[in-house]
Amino acid sequence: MKNRLKVLRAERDWTQADLAQRLEVSRQTVNAIEIGKYDPSLPLAFRISRLFKMSIEEIFDPETDI
Amino acid sequence: MNRNDDSPRTSSGLGRDRRNRRLVTIWSLAWALFFTAVTFGIKKLGWSFEVTLAAVIGTAILGLATVLAYRRFLLETDELRRKIEVEALALAFGVGVFGGLSCWLLAVSGALAIKDFAFVFVAMIFTHTAGVFLGCRRYS
Repeated sequence: MKNRLKVLRAERDWTQADLAQRLEVSRQTVNAIEIGKYDPSLPLAFRISRLFKMSIEEIFDPETDI
Repeated sequence: MNRNDDSPRTSSGLGRDRRNRRLVTIWSLAWALFFTAVTFGIKKLGWSFEVTLAAVIGTAILGLATVLAYRRFLLETDELRRKIEVEALALAFGVGVFGGLSCWLLAVSGALAIKDFAFVFVAMIFTHTAGVFLGCRRYS
């Protein structure tokens, strides 16, 4: 599933570790989501959308794979 | 659960993971040491039935503590780590049950001269470890 996580993170000048800390997940999880190897659970997707103040659909695109 | 702000979070999740993993290691080592001592006692020291029974119950209690500690680790850990662990457990289960039963069938048929199947448990442990290692590589 394609997502804009890397772009959104870069816009805020956060490292993967920064984002991982904010989401309370490991840096490996953030990296796996960014490169499209792992789709987050629904609770984590909501945490991401709240953190970036965007809807889930604006961050994740279920129609396309990376 | 209020996660609407974007303030930095503490690394309590990682600290909790470390603590839970340390508990699993401690209980596993305690179980392994106790199991080794009990095996030695039964085979070499010729323990009585009562002593053996008490030792086996003690081993089972330590085993249960290990399982509960591992369950807690799985429930509280990072979701990707949980996925990796569950996939590794599925792999180890397959090796243990289906691989072990295949060896048992071969032994029953006489094609394999094996009477002790303890190696199956060792194979399960190694398979789980390899599965976690490969899972970590796959998702990074």
